[in-house]
Amino acid sequence: MIHSRMKNFHVAIIGGGIIGSAIAWELSKYKLDTVVFEKECDVAFGTSKANSGVIHSGINSAKDSLKAKFCVEGNKKIKNLANELGFKVKWVGKYVISKNKEETKELEKLMKTGISNKVPGLKLIQGNDLTIKEPNVICEKALWVPTAGIILPYGFTIALAENATENNVKFLLETKVTKIKKRNEKFIIITNKGDFQSDILINSSGLNCKNIFQMLEEPDFNVYPCRGEYLVLDKKYCHLIKSMIYPVPPKEYGVLGVHITPTIEGNILIGPSAEFIDDPGDKKTTKKMMDALLNESKDLIPSIPDNAVINAFSGIRCKIASPEEGGWADYRIEESKKNPGFINLIGIESPGLTAAPAIAEYVIEMISKHIELKTKEFFNKRKIEKRFSELNPKQQSELIKKDEKWGRIICRCEHVTEAEVIKALSNPLGAQTLSSVKNRCRAGMGRCQGGFCTQHIVRIMNEHFKIDPNKIKLKSSKSNLFNGNTRIKKND
Amino acid sequence: MEIRGLKKMIDLKADVSIIGAGPAGLAAALSAKENGAKNIIVIDRNSWIGGILPQCIHDGFGIEETGSSMTGPEYAHMYIKNAKNQNITFMKETMVLDIINKKIIAVNTKGLLKIKSKSIVFAMGCREKTRWNILVPGDRPSGIYTAGVAQAFINLYNIMPGKNVIIVGSGDVGLIIARRLKFEGANVLGVVEILPYASGLPRNVVQCLDDYDIPLFLNHTIIEIKGKQRLESVTIAQVDKKGDIIIGSERKILCDTLLLSLGLIPENELANSLGIRLDSFTGGPVVNQKFETNYPGIFSCGNSLQVYDTVDVLTIDAKKAGKNASLYAMGENNKDSGEISVKPGAGVRYVIPQKITEPGKIHFTLRVIKPSGKINLKIVTKKSVLYKKKLLWTNPANMVEFDFEISDFLIKNKKDIEVFLDEKK
Amino acid sequence: MKKNKEITCIVCPIGCKIIVKTDGNSVQLIVGNKCKKGFEYARNEALDPRRMLTSSILVLNGEWPLVSVKSSKPVPKQKIFKVLDEIKKKKVKAPVKFGQKIIENVANTNIDIIATKQIPKI
Repeated sequence: MIHSRMKNFHVAIIGGGIIGSAIAWELSKYKLDTVVFEKECDVAFGTSKANSGVIHSGINSAKDSLKAKFCVEGNKKIKNLANELGFKVKWVGKYVISKNKEETKELEKLMKTGISNKVPGLKLIQGNDLTIKEPNVICEKALWVPTAGIILPYGFTIALAENATENNVKFLLETKVTKIKKRNEKFIIITNKGDFQSDILINSSGLNCKNIFQMLEEPDFNVYPCRGEYLVLDKKYCHLIKSMIYPVPPKEYGVLGVHITPTIEGNILIGPSAEFIDDPGDKKTTKKMMDALLNESKDLIPSIPDNAVINAFSGIRCKIASPEEGGWADYRIEESKKNPGFINLIGIESPGLTAAPAIAEYVIEMISKHIELKTKEFFNKRKIEKRFSELNPKQQSELIKKDEKWGRIICRCEHVTEAEVIKALSNPLGAQTLSSVKNRCRAGMGRCQGGFCTQHIVRIMNEHFKIDPNKIKLKSSKSNLFNGNTRIKKND
Repeated sequence: MEIRGLKKMIDLKADVSIIGAGPAGLAAALSAKENGAKNIIVIDRNSWIGGILPQCIHDGFGIEETGSSMTGPEYAHMYIKNAKNQNITFMKETMVLDIINKKIIAVNTKGLLKIKSKSIVFAMGCREKTRWNILVPGDRPSGIYTAGVAQAFINLYNIMPGKNVIIVGSGDVGLIIARRLKFEGANVLGVVEILPYASGLPRNVVQCLDDYDIPLFLNHTIIEIKGKQRLESVTIAQVDKKGDIIIGSERKILCDTLLLSLGLIPENELANSLGIRLDSFTGGPVVNQKFETNYPGIFSCGNSLQVYDTVDVLTIDAKKAGKNASLYAMGENNKDSGEISVKPGAGVRYVIPQKITEPGKIHFTLRVIKPSGKINLKIVTKKSVLYKKKLLWTNPANMVEFDFEISDFLIKNKKDIEVFLDEKK
Repeated sequence: MKKNKEITCIVCPIGCKIIVKTDGNSVQLIVGNKCKKGFEYARNEALDPRRMLTSSILVLNGEWPLVSVKSSKPVPKQKIFKVLDEIKKKKVKAPVKFGQKIIENVANTNIDIIATKQIPKI
C-alpha cells in the first residue's frame, strides 16, 4: 500500500559522503525534489573525512579504468568548483621519488601510465635538482606531477552538501535506511525517521554499499574494508616540504610506502598504512602502524622529530577486491537491470575525492534517461566568507565594528572567533556536534587539541543555541561529551 | 603582518605590558607598580582574571608566602584586590595576535589594539599534554579529557565529564581531580602512573588517593583506548625498568571517562615567532637573572618560563620579572657589566636563570634528571668550587631552589659556572 | 580494641611510614618517625584525623553557576561525606561575597562553609 502521506521525491540518495553530496549538488541545479539520507550526525562522516585530502593527477590509476577517467576529468573541474563553492585548493604538486635504480625503473613505468592516462606536465628530474627545491628530501630521481593538489576533504563535502541544501535538496541527518522495496516504478525507502518514496534511488553509501544493495538484490560483490592510519604533524614543521612526497609503490611485504602530504592548513600528514580488516567500523589507530609510519617517514625526511605528532586518525577504504585478488578493482557505477532507476556506486576508494565531480556528472547522465532535467532559473550561490585569521587588520576591524563577536577569539591555536563558531553551528544542514564545528571553522584542530576552545564552544552551544550540555555530542549520536551536572537545580 | 589597516587599530601606550593575568602576571604587575612603572596593562584571553586559579578550588596555595594555606580563588583574590587598588589596567577577553617592535597587536570585542609598550612580560602559562603527545593507540571516542579541562567543567561550568573515571598521571593535577571526582559522586577507578612513584606531593597522595581507597597503579601505562562512540574501556599494562611493556600484565578496565594528567607544556608561540631563544629542557625562554629574554625589554615568568611546583616559588620569580620590566621601562637598566652562562652539569636537567649579567644574590631554580638519596649540589667554575649544599634527597618532580651570591669577579672575568650533583664529598 | 595504623607522614617529602598503636582514645606506641613533627602528625592522624574541605555550592542567578567554598576549619575525616551531602543540597542566591558564610555549623560540626570567591548577580 502506498501511503499518500509518504514523502515523495524524484531522487533519493543514500549516503552523505563526497559522492552523495556531489551528486546532490549537481541535482540541485535542476527542478527536482531530491533527498539525501545520512545515518550519521553530519555529512562526510566516514571515508570522505578520513583520507589524505589529495586531488590526484591520475598517474596511479590503471590505464583505461574508470578510476583513471574520472580522476583526470574530476581533477580539471576542481579549480572552478573551489572558486564557486569557496573551499581552498592548493596545487602543491607531487614528487614520486626513487631511492635506487630499480625504483627508478618503476618511476619510468609510472610516467608512462600517466602519459597514457593523459596526465599533463609530468617530468622526470634528478635527485640533485630535487634537493634544491626540497632540501629535506634525498632521492635518486623524482617524478614531478604538477596537477596533484591538496584540499580539506570534509570542507569540500560540506561545501557541496550545504550549497545543495541552500538549493532545496533535503539532507536528513541521523536517518538510517533499514529497508527498501520496489512497488510499480517507485522505490519505497524505509528509515528510522519515516517512509519515503522516490523514482530514482542512488546507493552512494560507501562502506555500506553492499548492505544497501542487498536490500533489493543479490550482490555479486564483496566489500573488503582496508584501514589506513595517519599521523598529523604540528604546523611548526610545515617548512619541511612544499610538495607531496611519495615513494615508489613498494614491492616489499610489510613496507607501507608512506606518503608525506602537506595539508592546506599547514600541517603534514604521514600515511596512510593499508591493513585489511573485518569490521568496516573499526577506525582505531594501532601502535604497530603509528610506529611504522613515523619510522618510514624518517626514511624520506630524516629531520622529522619524534614529538612532532599532534594527532593520529584512521580511515577505511571500501575495496571490492580481496588481498588475494591483489586488492585492486575498478569503480563499479551501474544502474541495475533488474530494478531500473537503482544506481549503485560500489568500491569508491581513492581517487574518489578527485573523481567525485566527474562521477556526479556521469550519474546525472544516467538519471536524465529517466527524468527530464529542467535547469532552474535561479541558483543560490554559496556565500563565501573568509576566516578572521585570513583577513587583514582593516577587514578585521570592520567586522568587529559590525558584530563584536568577531573580536572574541575562542580558539587560541587557530585564532577562530565566536562569530565563526556561531556561523558553523548555524549551518543549513542542522549539524550541531563538536565535530561539526571543528570541520567548519577549525576550532579544536590546533596543537592544544581543544584544551582552550572546548569550554567556549560548549558555552556558545548552551547560551546561543539553548542546547543542553548533557545532550552535546562529540560526533556520533551516542558520543555524549558529559554526564550530568556537578550541582542540580531541582525545582521545588 | 600587513601594514594596511594598522591605522584602524585602537592605539594604546603602556610602560609595562603583561601578557597573562594568572598568578605570574598578577605578581609581575604588582611588582612593576611597586618599582615605579606608572602605566601597566595586563592582557588576558579569558573573561576573568586569575588564569588557572579560579578553577583550582582546592587549598595548598601560598603556604610559604603567607603562612596560611589558601584555595586558588583566594590566592587570586589577594592579588586582584591589590592590583585594583593600584590602578593597574586589565584587558579581559583579549587575545594577543602578534608583537612588532614591542607593539603588541591584540584583539577583543572593541576591535584591534596596538599597545606600544616600553617593556613586555610574558606570563602566558602552559597548555596540557594531550593523548597524542604519548600516542595512545585505539579508538577516538568521547569522554577523553585533559585533567585541567575536566576541572574547569566541574568547578566553573557545573558540568560533570563522566561517571566511571580512570586518570593517567599522578602529578598534583591528577591527584586533586581524583579527589574532586570522588567528592562529586563519580566512581574513580584508579590513577595510572608510569614511574615507580607518584609524581605529586606525598600530601596529595595521602589526602586524595589513600583517604578514599583510590588505587594507584605504579609502573603502569595506558596502551589502548576502546569505545565506539563514548569511551568503553582502557587497557593498562605494567612496564619494566626500561619502560617496555611486560607482556601478560595487560588489564582492561571498563570506564566511560579518561582524564589525562600527562604534564604541561609552557606556551611560547609568541616567543618563538619573535625568534626569542628557548631552552629545550625548560620549554621556556633562556633568561638572565632579571628574567629578561635575549630580546631586550621582553621578560618571561611563570609557567611559560618553566613549569613550577608551587605558586609561591613562581611568585618570587614573577615579582623579579615585573620589577625588572619596570626598571627597563623607566630607563633605569643598570648597565650590564658582562654576561656569564649557567650550565646544567651532571644530574641536572636545567637551571634558571641560564645567564647572569650582574653581580648580586640570585634565586636559582633547577630540576634534577633522576631521583636520588643524599647528594651534594655544587656550583663550580672551570677551576674552583664556589658553593656546596647537601641535599637529603632529590626528585625530578620537586624543584630545587637556592640563593647564591654571584660576585663581580665572576662577571668581569667572564667565568661561566656549572651547577651539578655529586655523590662525592 | 587496640589497632595498628600505618600512616604516611606528609609533613616533609621524605614521607616516613609511621606505625601507630591506638585504641581510639589514646596512643600506645608510635614508631617510624624521623622527627618530632612526624610524631605529632602521626598522633593526630591516628586519634583525630581532619581535613580541610573544599567544594562548590550552586548559585542562583549568578554570573557563574557555582561558587567555590571551603570549610572554616579542618573537618573530622569521618564527617566529610555528611558535610558534602549538605553542601550539595544547598543553594545560594547571587550576589555572593568573598568570604560569605554560606552554611553555618554544617552537619553539626561547629564548622562553617565559606565562599572563596565572589559571584556577581547576572
